Amino acid sequence: MERVHSLYLHVPFCTWVCKYCDFNAYAVLEGLIPAYVEALAREIEVAAADLPVGPLKTVFIGGGTPSLLTGPQLNLLMDRARSIGLASGAEVTMEANPSNVTSARVEAWLAAGINRLSIGIQSLQPGALRFLERLHSGGEALDAIRIARAGGFANLNADLLYGVPDVDLSMWLETLDAVVSEGVDHLSAYELTVESGTRLGQEARTGLVTMPDAEAQLEQYWAAAAQLGRAGFRHYEISNWARSGFECRHNLAGWRYQPYLGCGAGAHSMFRLDDRVTERSWNIKGPHAYVKQVAQRGRPVDGRETLSAERARGEAAMIGVRLLEGTAAAQDFPSERRQLVAAGLLVEDDGQVRLSRRGVELANQVGATFLA
Amino acid sequence: MSTPTNLTRAISVIAHVDHGKTTLSDRLLEYTGTVAPRDMVEQVLDQLDLERERGITIKAQAVRMLYKADDGKTYQINLIDTPGHVDFSYEVSRALAACDGAILVVDASQGIEAQTIANVHQALEHNLKIVPVVNKIDLPQANPELVRQEIEKVIGLPAESVIFASARQGIGTREILEAVVREVPPPTGNPAAPLRALIFDAKFDAYRGVVTYIRVLEGTLRKGARIEMMQTGKTFEADEVGIFRPERTPIDELAAGEVGYVIANIRNVRDSRVGDTVTEADRPASEPLPGYRHVTPMVFAGLFPTDSDQYQQLKEALEKLQLNDAALVYEPETSAALGFGFRCGFLGLLHMEIVQERLEREFNLTLLGTAPTVEYRVKLRDGTEVPVDNPDHLPNPAEIESISEPMVIATIVVPSAYLGNMMQLSQERRGQYLNTVYEPGDRVVLTYRMPLAEIIHDYYDQLKSRSKGYASLDYELVGFEEANLVKLDVLVGGSPVDALSMIVERGKAQVQGRRLAEKLKTLIPRQLFEVPIQAAIGGKIVARETVPAMRKDVLAKCYGGDVTRKRKLLEKQREGKKRLKRVGNVEIPQEAFMAVLSLD
Repeated sequence: MERVHSLYLHVPFCTWVCKYCDFNAYAVLEGLIPAYVEALAREIEVAAADLPVGPLKTVFIGGGTPSLLTGPQLNLLMDRARSIGLASGAEVTMEANPSNVTSARVEAWLAAGINRLSIGIQSLQPGALRFLERLHSGGEALDAIRIARAGGFANLNADLLYGVPDVDLSMWLETLDAVVSEGVDHLSAYELTVESGTRLGQEARTGLVTMPDAEAQLEQYWAAAAQLGRAGFRHYEISNWARSGFECRHNLAGWRYQPYLGCGAGAHSMFRLDDRVTERSWNIKGPHAYVKQVAQRGRPVDGRETLSAERARGEAAMIGVRLLEGTAAAQDFPSERRQLVAAGLLVEDDGQVRLSRRGVELANQVGATFLA
Repeated sequence: MSTPTNLTRAISVIAHVDHGKTTLSDRLLEYTGTVAPRDMVEQVLDQLDLERERGITIKAQAVRMLYKADDGKTYQINLIDTPGHVDFSYEVSRALAACDGAILVVDASQGIEAQTIANVHQALEHNLKIVPVVNKIDLPQANPELVRQEIEKVIGLPAESVIFASARQGIGTREILEAVVREVPPPTGNPAAPLRALIFDAKFDAYRGVVTYIRVLEGTLRKGARIEMMQTGKTFEADEVGIFRPERTPIDELAAGEVGYVIANIRNVRDSRVGDTVTEADRPASEPLPGYRHVTPMVFAGLFPTDSDQYQQLKEALEKLQLNDAALVYEPETSAALGFGFRCGFLGLLHMEIVQERLEREFNLTLLGTAPTVEYRVKLRDGTEVPVDNPDHLPNPAEIESISEPMVIATIVVPSAYLGNMMQLSQERRGQYLNTVYEPGDRVVLTYRMPLAEIIHDYYDQLKSRSKGYASLDYELVGFEEANLVKLDVLVGGSPVDALSMIVERGKAQVQGRRLAEKLKTLIPRQLFEVPIQAAIGGKIVARETVPAMRKDVLAKCYGGDVTRKRKLLEKQREGKKRLKRVGNVEIPQEAFMAVLSLD
């Protein structure tokens, strides 16, 4: 099995689950946090004993809202990561909700070994924040960036959402400009996607909410891309921009089809076996069940799938094309590549392929082509 | 086993679809003890699964019953169950020709329908004695008295001869059997004369070859005899002769008047054609029985495997199906758009549906069927005439002198409230009005002469929907008639799609072209690029629509935890595409090829 150098830790707790969110996240379970962190630490230990993991080049603590954890809780998790072995210069990211960002916490996070903070700003527009059910104001969100920077975070990301109902192009670009001016190093801009099973999904289905049309969404997307380009950011993945050297290495590893270990409720792992077969597995989703099962049997794996070398190549290509500089992952698909180049969705250069502008807009069509 | 000829009866049950023919047959089998009630699978006589599911009879069945009548004598009653759909009217006519009488079943709430009339006409043509029965009298909406009057008025059978029955509840079963032995004449054929037996059905048995269903009208067929099929001239040895009780039961001989089967190592139903006469090779009859017709298909369509790798499987499946279905014809066809497939001829739309369904279900194929068409006769300027059963094969207009199309007489029975709708529909469909007859029960029998092509293009569905389901239809082919027809071509993405061509009346061509283009626009999914759809007549574009290009299809997020889900989503997308047929670089769904059927 290929050695694993990336670790993902999932913290499924939120103060409030926003209506568009379909992640594995729960409100009003704060009481469970201590037991959950214990279980998570235990799972890391068990997994590291069983699998060829480490030294870790990236750690990503996501959620949910990991910024709800206390300093000691984060220390416990990071101690476990360190006992696997943390490579020098490893990237350790944590997601944070702007409401939780205080100088005291920032100090504790840095002390725990976190060196990259990803702040869920989403929007600065009061109407949009209300619509999205965010509990912070725009001003507080900008303050969070300032506090993190002042406290010593040298690598900051902001998450933003575009295509929010009633946010027009100029409002969106204002938000983007304000966040960039505050001095982030990385920016993720996601289209607000209606997922079935969320409250937004229901509201859209019943006509309570009308989402902007594809044209308007693409207009905001490309305008953001242009503005970020002018501000010195490189567009390196469909929804991600970074100043040079600040690309998220944890996510890059995923898009480059490198294996990772995921621990926590509902977390996914990906392993590469020696015959190029890919194995994916995922933990049980519910936090209570997770805590219980870790105590009973160590890793609470709930399901797995193995992909033949051939299907894995297709999957690698499907993910790889999301990297806009291009990918070599589509090498084994000459006829599909030709077809996509002819359709104007891919551009071929130097033995690699990359998405054209139109290819970015239709990336699923491109990805599906590689899945035999 | 042998019954004196004067105690033998041969009857059929005739009815409009759903009037209870099969249920009544089941009751007769039960009442006469031919089948014990506990062995009674509902609808014993319908044997194909498909028949049972659809509640229709596709192939004729036959069974011998013994009935001890009130006069103390035991009668042998041969019951022949006939197909109940207009597509199989020739088979019905041969089954009736094998009978001396018929039980006419009319639903007590529906009354007389188009097929009731058509069936009665056929029965009378064969001089059958008719025993009229009003069925389903137990239903709350039944009006048996009104239907009884209708039978007298419309069919001319005395009202007092009508028997009230409920096949479901077994009411009237004995009265029907009594009427059969009393009213239906015994056979008159001479058992010593040269053999003449009428084939009214044939079925392929994987182990025994063809089982030929016959009624001996003259002479006697003995086991071991050398038999000859008088139409094809082929001879066979009668390995087994038997009767149906209802399972096959071998006996030594079938004498004049008797109904049964013969197995003679016949490998293909084509050698045992419905309507042919079986005689003895050593002592042949001088004349075959009258009424034989070579069955010709009325409706044609292309069948193509969605996955071109299934071509060979489709070929083998058609070969197998044809062993049991003499009416099915096919020949290889190559379509520029759809690749390799077969042009198939069917008796009608139901027959077509059944064949396609059996091919998919029994042989596990995924097929794409093109819209059905009729066979045109095209007279060329050089004096020759060619049949055209594929619109795309219509010769160059410059070479065409004239085109004729098959015509039918359509009989529609409908409550008078819908008369206007029916006339309007038939007029729109190039119908020539012939006649209206008012019946009791506020119903009208309407007759039109109209092109068969119009009937197969959604006419029946329209008839039903514009009459709230009350109208019934029967039609009969009456020959060919010259018409002013042109070929309408369709171009998708700039290239002609042969499988979408249709032949239409010149006056309606432009409107049809416009409607077809509009319809296709809704059926062809968005592609990566804009797809123009054009309709053309003789190279001149008469309509144009555009399917806009797909605008956006991208997932905002794709991280480690999402990959499985996202991959499955895209795999599903891709799977969906496999059901589309790629024509040039455009992917077209099956429904698009059927679009020409419903342009109203």
